[in-house]
Amino acid sequence: MSSSSRYVTFEGSRNFRLRVVMATLSGKAIKIEKIRSDDLNPGLKDYEVSFLRLMEAVTNGSSIEISYTGTTVIFRPGIITGGSYTHQCPNSKPVGYFAEPMLYLAPFSKKKFSILFRGITSSHNDAGIDAIKWGLMPIMEKFGVRECALHTLKRGSPPLGGGEVHLVVDSLIAQPITMHALDKTMISSIRGVSYSTRVSPSLVNRMIDGAKKVLKSASCEVNITADVWRGENSGKSPGWGLTLVAENKQGWRIFSEAIGDAGDVPEDIGASVAYHLLEEISKSGVVGRNQLPLTILYMIIGKEDIGRLRITKDQIDERFVWLLRDIKKVFGTEILLKPVDDNTTDLIATIKGIGFTNTNKKIA
Amino acid sequence: MEQSNKEHRKRKEKAGAKKKLHSQGHNAKAFAVSAPGKMAKQMQRTGDKNEKKLHVPMVDRTPDDDPPPIIIAVVGPPGTGKTTLIKSLVRRLTKTTLSEINGPITVVSGKRRRLTFIECPADDLNSMIDISKVADLVLLMMDGNFGFEMETMEFLNLAQHHGMPRVLGVATHLDLFKSQSTLRASKKSLKHRFWTEVYQGAKLFYLSGVINGRYPDREILNLSRFISVMKFRPLQWRNEHPYLLADRISDLTHPELLQSKGMHIDRKVAIYGYLHGTPLPSTPGYRVHIAGVGDYQIDHVEKLPDPCPTPYYQQKLDEFERERAKEEGSTSATTVRRRKRLDDKQKLIYAPMSDVGGLLMDKDAVFIDVGGKTGPNSMTAEEKDESDKIVSNLQATSRSIDEKFENVGLQLFSNSTELHAIEDQDEEVEEDTEDEDDVDRGNVGRSSLRKARVYGKSLQESNADLDNLSSDNENYNEDDDEDEAHRTKLVEIDFDDEKPENMAFETDSELDASDSEGWERTTAGKLNGTKNKRRKWDISKLIYMDNIAPADAIKRWNGEADETEVEEDLEDDEDTEFFTQKTNTTPNKAVTYHDDLERFIPYFDTFNDLVERWSTADSIKDRFVGKPSLNTKSSDDVKDEDDDEDEVYGDFEDLEAEPENTDEKEENSAAGDEESDSNESFADFEEEEKKDLTQDEERELNAAKKEKLRLQFEMEEGDNFGEDPENEYDTWYELQKAKIAKQLEINKAELESMTPEQRQQIEGMKAGSYVRIVFDKVPMEFIENFNPKYPVIMGGLLPTELKFGIINARVRRHRWHKKILKTNDPLVLSLGWRRFQTLPIYTTSDSRTRTRMLKYTPEHAYCTASFYGPLCSPNTTFCGVQIVANSDTTGSFRIAATGIVEEIDASVEIVKKLKLVGYPYKIFKNTAFIKDMFSSAMEVARFEGAQIKTVSGIRGEIKRALSKPEGHFRATFEDKILLSDIIILRSWYPIQVKKFYNPVTSLLLKDKTEWKGLRLTGQIRASLGIDLPTNNDSTYKKVERVERNFNGLKVPKSVAKDLPFKSQIYQMKPQKKKTYMAKRAVVLGGEEKKARSFMQKVLTISNAKDEKKRSKKAEERKERLKKLAKLEESKKEKEKQRKKDFFSKNGKKRQFNDNDTSDVMSSKKRK
Repeated sequence: MSSSSRYVTFEGSRNFRLRVVMATLSGKAIKIEKIRSDDLNPGLKDYEVSFLRLMEAVTNGSSIEISYTGTTVIFRPGIITGGSYTHQCPNSKPVGYFAEPMLYLAPFSKKKFSILFRGITSSHNDAGIDAIKWGLMPIMEKFGVRECALHTLKRGSPPLGGGEVHLVVDSLIAQPITMHALDKTMISSIRGVSYSTRVSPSLVNRMIDGAKKVLKSASCEVNITADVWRGENSGKSPGWGLTLVAENKQGWRIFSEAIGDAGDVPEDIGASVAYHLLEEISKSGVVGRNQLPLTILYMIIGKEDIGRLRITKDQIDERFVWLLRDIKKVFGTEILLKPVDDNTTDLIATIKGIGFTNTNKKIA
Repeated sequence: MEQSNKEHRKRKEKAGAKKKLHSQGHNAKAFAVSAPGKMAKQMQRTGDKNEKKLHVPMVDRTPDDDPPPIIIAVVGPPGTGKTTLIKSLVRRLTKTTLSEINGPITVVSGKRRRLTFIECPADDLNSMIDISKVADLVLLMMDGNFGFEMETMEFLNLAQHHGMPRVLGVATHLDLFKSQSTLRASKKSLKHRFWTEVYQGAKLFYLSGVINGRYPDREILNLSRFISVMKFRPLQWRNEHPYLLADRISDLTHPELLQSKGMHIDRKVAIYGYLHGTPLPSTPGYRVHIAGVGDYQIDHVEKLPDPCPTPYYQQKLDEFERERAKEEGSTSATTVRRRKRLDDKQKLIYAPMSDVGGLLMDKDAVFIDVGGKTGPNSMTAEEKDESDKIVSNLQATSRSIDEKFENVGLQLFSNSTELHAIEDQDEEVEEDTEDEDDVDRGNVGRSSLRKARVYGKSLQESNADLDNLSSDNENYNEDDDEDEAHRTKLVEIDFDDEKPENMAFETDSELDASDSEGWERTTAGKLNGTKNKRRKWDISKLIYMDNIAPADAIKRWNGEADETEVEEDLEDDEDTEFFTQKTNTTPNKAVTYHDDLERFIPYFDTFNDLVERWSTADSIKDRFVGKPSLNTKSSDDVKDEDDDEDEVYGDFEDLEAEPENTDEKEENSAAGDEESDSNESFADFEEEEKKDLTQDEERELNAAKKEKLRLQFEMEEGDNFGEDPENEYDTWYELQKAKIAKQLEINKAELESMTPEQRQQIEGMKAGSYVRIVFDKVPMEFIENFNPKYPVIMGGLLPTELKFGIINARVRRHRWHKKILKTNDPLVLSLGWRRFQTLPIYTTSDSRTRTRMLKYTPEHAYCTASFYGPLCSPNTTFCGVQIVANSDTTGSFRIAATGIVEEIDASVEIVKKLKLVGYPYKIFKNTAFIKDMFSSAMEVARFEGAQIKTVSGIRGEIKRALSKPEGHFRATFEDKILLSDIIILRSWYPIQVKKFYNPVTSLLLKDKTEWKGLRLTGQIRASLGIDLPTNNDSTYKKVERVERNFNGLKVPKSVAKDLPFKSQIYQMKPQKKKTYMAKRAVVLGGEEKKARSFMQKVLTISNAKDEKKRSKKAEERKERLKKLAKLEESKKEKEKQRKKDFFSKNGKKRQFNDNDTSDVMSSKKRK
């Protein structure tokens, strides 16, 4: 084997999880250099190491080499095996940080995925468990992953956490279905979950009020559930938050979420989540910005057919560009963006799958 | 005697007579089922036939408009007439007489069909394996006199496990049969044997004799007709991989390198051929496997003009040409007659390895063989054709110049998105030369600029730069002078006024061949002001330009790039400080946010902004499926006042609007109804627009809409077949086929809508294109030992196939292979494209609790094999052979195993049984001390609690190590054991699969048939003279058992006394009274005594006589047997001699003592 191109090389800490996930899916070894090399605290963070450990646990035969300073990582992926595993998430990142990348791998493993995550269940920056459950899993369902679920056993708010979440993905598919989503998502209703742990239930209802007030103008059915957690299942810290999901009949979802800190006014949080939802709807074509990586990647690893996805101009931001560049580096494929000719600035992303198949699964 | 009656004569039916409807009192039409049994049978049969037609629906990825040539492999044992067949077929199809057959020969056989003939070397198993992977159709040659030979059977089995191509049997040498009846009989038996191997009813051709070095024309015509109408099913493996059968190979290594570094350096090699299978990704670095050589990275690929285009393709080209000519106004367009048959000119042949026609086309040169090599007779025959070709190739040279530029561009900027338009190929030479001029000018201009330019200065020069470069942009083909003047002015203005809007960038440009920094240069070149309309970046390209920071890319796309940046760009274009410059200027408002891409929650504006924006949700109202609210008025909508009204009162608008056009009105109202159903205000909007359109425009719009609908994928992907009442498909099969067809249609439409470079980027090189693939660092042996007789096959590798790991496969020893296979004995596997030697471990699953190693494959059953090697997706079938070298083969069947990949993994748990044996030396009640099982207390501790067993089946458990004799332990049993018992501890010992992978690099050898890898265990033993290791205990000996006498059971009286009544032992007392007989004694006397003694004497004599007779007879018999044996011996000897004589006379055909090819050739010529 030639030694020159043994790794796909990346620089910087951005897109860390996705790069590792893509490497695993493509089977290519990657080398990530200069991870926070200019930082005062250089190298991998604890949660990233924890994520690598998780990757090691759900795969067989992967090897991880971390340099002495932690600024360089070499990841040689093995075979996605899945199985049951319990992952203790560090308190620096919530469960969603670890569970989200698992969604990319789970349908393509040898055995069914059943991972129990312990830690914080919601945060400001990462996917909350409700967002994954109501926002990302329906996307997977659209691609043929029909049996996936995220069971909330305990909620744990930051900073101490104490939550417990069970990710179960039962359907092992050969490859995702080729997607043709050419029309903007028409929202039929808005649902939501307003949850709290170890605080007064009134906060929950105040959030709902705040959100409903804003969503009144949207003129569609709004239904927000109050979800108050008490007792030992509610983790170690008080906390509260809201996740709103705009649904459509075809199964697409657009969502937004936020959590409240001490001193925040619940109505304001509710209102801001609702505004975020409206903003997200306005900016989204078929899927929201935070669903875009999952959707694009699932389309990339599809059959060798052309799939199409409508996206808006607003969705093409820096992350999107980074995502596509990383995809090109790993899979070697490009996507084509073509404007739609119906007086909008929208684009159709034409994606040809790489002809990926789940080779890990044993034949019956 | 039977009575002979006059036959009944039927009444003659009158010609015009009406058929009687009523027969036997029934209306035949009303009671259609007259024979229910017959009908049932018929229905059964049609059902069976329909069911047989069904296949797993599979996508056929071969392009249907210009498919690659069909690969026809001619396979058979030596001397069956393969070469003659190819010669005959080629002669039939192209009227060319081949003197020699080397490598693939591509010929045009029909309007849309090309065939590639390849002869499989008869004596090379490796080639047979490779051929079986790529051939679409196999012409299986067999000698009618010999029937099926080993090679035939081997090839059939190989083909079966690599996705069974179509097989046509061809029996030859049928003229050697003397009598018709034997010919008929042997034909029949051959046919039936063939059927059992392929399928019932498989076609077998019979070719009788050879006339003029060819088979009879009539028979060849039939065969070629059969081939030309043949249809092919997609095969799984070939439908997932790109592959190519090389028809030309050239060494591109710089001769200077060879001179300076010697001939042994790795070579740069170009492989030419038609692509098959899926599209080959055009990104460099794609890994492929060259069978018999190894895995290589593609250095670059380029598409060459088709050397053997189909008439259909040529016709299309001509049409295109004519269309253009018409557009340009020239009247020279000539009408082309449509022909049913192929013109002689169209019957092309392309066989670069065989030196056909003495013509070779390269990327940038055409070689004409002036005829030193080929025979003069063949040259004269084709003189006219050749001259035609030369003329056509003179035109082709212009293409290749063009291409040269394109290719260099590809090479240099492989990471950038800039590719050259393929359309260029069709452009006239004039344009090309113009381009060249431009390039020259560009070069000159740049060099001067380079010197002069300083950071942040001198606009004048930038203009000069622009002038020089923008002219090769095809979008601005206006008059240069005017243009330039205009442009310079504008640019100046732009800079002065600091208006970024007028600045725009253009990416689709043509790069010249020699410029290494072309990209930067052209970016500057694209700075363009000719049109006041703002030019936009193409986002699809912008995204993949790695040298533009993403934030910057977005900005450029949105046209936000402000003046400072533009200026910077200009500088950057000049300097090489491009990257540093950029990074300095990126900071912006959202950058701090975007830096952390790990953040899941997307960026939102501040709360206050959002409140302001979303005070009403009107702008996204069209995104909600709900009632349109009456009181809101959109502020930022594109629609004007009455549009809004219409939107609200969607149902009524048509009544007032446009009363003059009734047609449209109807249409509108219909649409309006629909609208009211769905309540989508979206539709309103379109409706509005329609109003002010003319009919033509409307039609256009409708057409566009229809097109959109056509490409919409409305078929639900789920398994809800049967539930959906609107489903128009009767069966699931039909639905799947329709889905596949729909998807293919979408693919085609989408790909056709792309520009050629985009298409190449996204789709890759599609099957059917003639490509040149360049590899770096190929071993010199490949070139030095190249022999065109052996096929070179290149297959693309999927990501999984690049990884190495353990493969678990279900395998079975081939039932015709003579020996069973041994674990860890090397086996050459043909899996995927590769052929490699590996060390499989055969296993079986012990009721799914463990995978236990087997020493040998079971006789007639599948077992699992685990081996190390390049991974291959599950469900791939493969076969294995033990030896590929010809010198090591015996005459027996060589395919040792066949199997299918079940699972791939990075590691595997295999155990083998290990029995530890110990002996009791002290026995208590149920406890015993055991010795000789372990050697230390430590070992015992490891096995505490383990189950043990005596040979007689008494189970026990290891308790504790004994302190004194090291390694002895105490064990308990369920019963008292005997001192003579043997104690067994059954354990499982994990074994590792040996990581041995040895690719069969047969093509690198001088003698391709002599690849020898790791030797088999048996071979090593034989060569070293080592006997099989035998365990003395394992040998079978006669079991000698001492008869054991068991004493009767004696119950002591004291015990017996206490036994319960039921268990009392009954023993009768001895009889005391004398019996009747005992009381009496019989004494013989007198007559009786005499008689008895006499009788005894008589009997004694007779016995003695008998004895004598018997012994004599036995002796006689012995004698006779001896005589018989002697006779038999001599008979056998005679038979042997006869056989020997026969085979020494008739069996010469298969003798290949030396592998000299010339020898082979000479032996081929049949007398």
